[in-house]
Amino acid sequence: MSIVANKDNRVVIIGGPAGVNAARRMAEFSYLIQSPFNVLAFVFPPDAGKTAEITYGNQFLSVPIYRTLDEAVKNHSQINTALIYVGANRAYKASLEALNSNGINLVSMITEGVPEKDAKLLIKEAKIRNKIFNGPSAIGIFSAGESRLGVVGGEYNNLKLSKLHRPGSFGVVTKSGGLANEIMWMASQFADGITTAIGIGGDTYPGSDYVTYLEMFENDQQTKAVILIGEMGGDLEEKAAAWYSEKKRRIKLIATVAGTCQERLPKGMKFGHAGAKEGQQGEGSAKNKIEVLKKAGAVVAPTFGALGKVIEEVYKEFIDNGVVRPTKEVDIDTLPDLPRKVEEFMKSGEVMVEPLLKSTICDDRGEEPLYVGYPASELIDKGYTIAHTIGLLWNKKLPSPDEAEIIKRIIILSADHGPCVSGALTTIIAACAGIGLSQAVAAGLIMIGPRFGGAVTEAGRWFRYGSENYKGEIDSFLVYMKANVGPVPGIGHRVKSMHNPDKRVKELISFVKSLDISTPVLDFAMEVEHRTLQKMPNLILNVDGTMAAILVDIGFPLETLNGFFILARTIGLIGHWVDQKQQGSRLIRLFKYLVNYSCHKKREVPPLSR
Amino acid sequence: MAKVLEGPGMDLLNKWGMTVPRHAVVTSVDQAEHLADANPWLCEGKTVVKAHEALGSRFKLGLVKIDLNCKEAEKAVKEMIGKNVNGLIISQVIIAEMIPHEKEYYMAVKSTREGADILIAGLGGVEVEANWDRVKKLSVEVGENPEKSDLEKLAKDAGFSDELVPGIADFAFKLYQCHDQEDGTYIEINPLIVRSSDKELVALDVVTLLDGDARFRHPEWNFNFAAEFRRPYTEDEKAIMEIDSRVKGSVKLIEIPGGDTALLPAGGGASVFYSDAVVEMGGTLANYSEYSGDPPEWAVEALTDKVCSLPGIKRILVGGAVANFTDVKVTFKGIINGFRKAKEEGKLDGVEIWIRRGGPNEKEGLAAMRALKDEGFNIHVFDRYTPMTDIVDLSLKGGK
Repeated sequence: MSIVANKDNRVVIIGGPAGVNAARRMAEFSYLIQSPFNVLAFVFPPDAGKTAEITYGNQFLSVPIYRTLDEAVKNHSQINTALIYVGANRAYKASLEALNSNGINLVSMITEGVPEKDAKLLIKEAKIRNKIFNGPSAIGIFSAGESRLGVVGGEYNNLKLSKLHRPGSFGVVTKSGGLANEIMWMASQFADGITTAIGIGGDTYPGSDYVTYLEMFENDQQTKAVILIGEMGGDLEEKAAAWYSEKKRRIKLIATVAGTCQERLPKGMKFGHAGAKEGQQGEGSAKNKIEVLKKAGAVVAPTFGALGKVIEEVYKEFIDNGVVRPTKEVDIDTLPDLPRKVEEFMKSGEVMVEPLLKSTICDDRGEEPLYVGYPASELIDKGYTIAHTIGLLWNKKLPSPDEAEIIKRIIILSADHGPCVSGALTTIIAACAGIGLSQAVAAGLIMIGPRFGGAVTEAGRWFRYGSENYKGEIDSFLVYMKANVGPVPGIGHRVKSMHNPDKRVKELISFVKSLDISTPVLDFAMEVEHRTLQKMPNLILNVDGTMAAILVDIGFPLETLNGFFILARTIGLIGHWVDQKQQGSRLIRLFKYLVNYSCHKKREVPPLSR
Repeated sequence: MAKVLEGPGMDLLNKWGMTVPRHAVVTSVDQAEHLADANPWLCEGKTVVKAHEALGSRFKLGLVKIDLNCKEAEKAVKEMIGKNVNGLIISQVIIAEMIPHEKEYYMAVKSTREGADILIAGLGGVEVEANWDRVKKLSVEVGENPEKSDLEKLAKDAGFSDELVPGIADFAFKLYQCHDQEDGTYIEINPLIVRSSDKELVALDVVTLLDGDARFRHPEWNFNFAAEFRRPYTEDEKAIMEIDSRVKGSVKLIEIPGGDTALLPAGGGASVFYSDAVVEMGGTLANYSEYSGDPPEWAVEALTDKVCSLPGIKRILVGGAVANFTDVKVTFKGIINGFRKAKEEGKLDGVEIWIRRGGPNEKEGLAAMRALKDEGFNIHVFDRYTPMTDIVDLSLKGGK
């Protein structure tokens, strides 16, 4: 058996992420004892209408989130327990609502820093309505084998180690949440574990005091002894002592009190708990509490270090007197394990998962991405540039200084070509239609193809083919191309010609030629141009063809070649979009006089035939 | 509980309709020179000048001067401001009018679990403590106001004359209102006097303790809380309080000069048991500290840095229970970062470190601590199977 927390708790958690986290811990315990999950709803206005996903074993349970407590209890009439996980400024209102809700008879609050007056008003309200208000600052309530209310109990493995899957014989009541967990652990080490453990919170005025729970423990036949962890300040330990000595009690009271160090510390010092302070007129010292508890007949451990032994002795006495029969322990290994994640199985080598994809250029599993093994920050630190990054991510090689310079120049010269070309025009039209940056730029990029900017790869392909198979036989190459491919990609321009040469091309070629690198593909392309110019003055080696030949010469694979134009032109497209945006340009449309309407004359629509 | 100094304490009484002496708080010598211009009452009668700091025994330390005319007052203020008293620089001085009166009384409101007690005595000053049986009490439930008739009866019981009863009852009602509405935990007026000139009740001196946790609903509180242990906070303590006020969970530090055993424990409850164990073993504490509620790594690192900086320490005890939700791995990472920094700065020379902890990710956290051995730390690491405070016994026995 147990007190307060039991199999009948049906819980609403009032609060956000911290509450959801508590629910996850609670679900772990439900799973451990293979009992249904007992949190039915959350109240958290920002997420109202959504659900919170809680893992229960290998299932995902969806718990609804409501705007108000009213809605939650209307939809889940079984709710009888509320856990408060909201901030100190809203904790009073949330708790008051919960206490005023008919079906709810237990409210436990973990919120810290709640004003004393608020706590006192809630105590009064709970008393009037004959309900239990636990907290503020209370870690929660744990009944072994039955119910977990809050994060008390810690992680899954600790639940097993502290034998919380089945009841023992010891009740625990403490102000400190951390110690509640420690005592549950100790009770499992030095005795047969707990029935119920309650953190009442370390504030000056805990909603429910030791006596409230001692009375309940007294009536719980399974509980044979209660471990009370007190501390200096206030008079709740004295009240517990008075209760214990008032008449013959069935339960044995084990106690220890923190704060004997107080007289050696600066007067008036504040400890971690709000309630742990010296009382006025000398009341509330740890020493006094220890004396009073001893006098009342409690077994008092003079220090925390002595507590384990005291618990052990009391338990031995219970066994010797037949008050408690030794528990038949289930083998801890037979208790369910939390399902492990696939990653954990893989780590331990128990499972192999066939990868969905393979990546060979960038590894982001560490602190920072590695570009073909090189940490990005180190590349930056050592002065590498965007050209090197392209070399690494497109070609898995660090380009030489000359190669990097070529890449840089290619990008600069292809970055933009004014607003009239199809890519820029499309982006501008999109910008004027109010389309966002990424879509407008993507629209412009879509224009890149066989007729605009997209001939680099094909030019590279055929110039390389020619340089490998038709060296010195330009005419044969042109015959082959005419028969099998069509016009030579990379040759020809709509505007530029022999008489109006493309300055960008001349600059690039003369730079590359000034370097000490071999350029068989470029040389071949230039020979082709030499021959085609004899046929037509506009059959020049254009910028696509020049880039293509050079890039093949410095070792870039064919697949990457169009990428140079796409990357470079993206710079221009972004510029055009920003330009239009900053001008506040309005929607544009074509003038009708720019269209040749060569359409059918107006005529009558025939009836729709069935 | 949070202490409010006399100046703002009196202002609070005044806000709720109680008469207090005219007073001014001075924070610079410059201000002292123009004091009489801004406060003409200074030269109308006699004044008292006191250091406006959270200090005990101000009389003995010469930090209270009475019966001064305005010239003398200015001189006293100038002398007191900037004075170094056992390492504390006096930064504020309060100057208040002295009010001629005959009898002194006592009045206080004190929080209780059920509400508050109103305490009244027909005597005041130092006599109250010696005659506690003459202090009469009226308990008021939280959410209620005291009845006028009950307050009058209380005043009568405390021995006030019929003439004074209505005034005392009215004053008590106001004090209760102040306590209730300002989230007081304890407000004590001693002495409460009848001003000779006009028979008006005046609160001559006040001790004000408010509920610091209620600050969020009192944007009008324009004062800081003072340290409650008769000395001001140190810079390191203030730095940790500042961090504590803005992180999830909590970090706390109070320095205790002269101790050789530093504490860096987890949890408001466990930390006190660690302190007890040190004292029990005959050790001397160099501080009280705790971190709890799963604070962020950097906050724990900052606390570790301050703890390692405590002068003259021989050991640091990093204790804690088996945690519920504080991540041992994360908080230990903060502590380890702090330790490494301190070691580089030579602060850990000859300092032993003792660890005991359990909780979420305890294996990883403890393993990381154990690994510090290889970096040359003098560190002893224990897990949940060693009882919580045993590291205190082990470290202090070994140290002697």
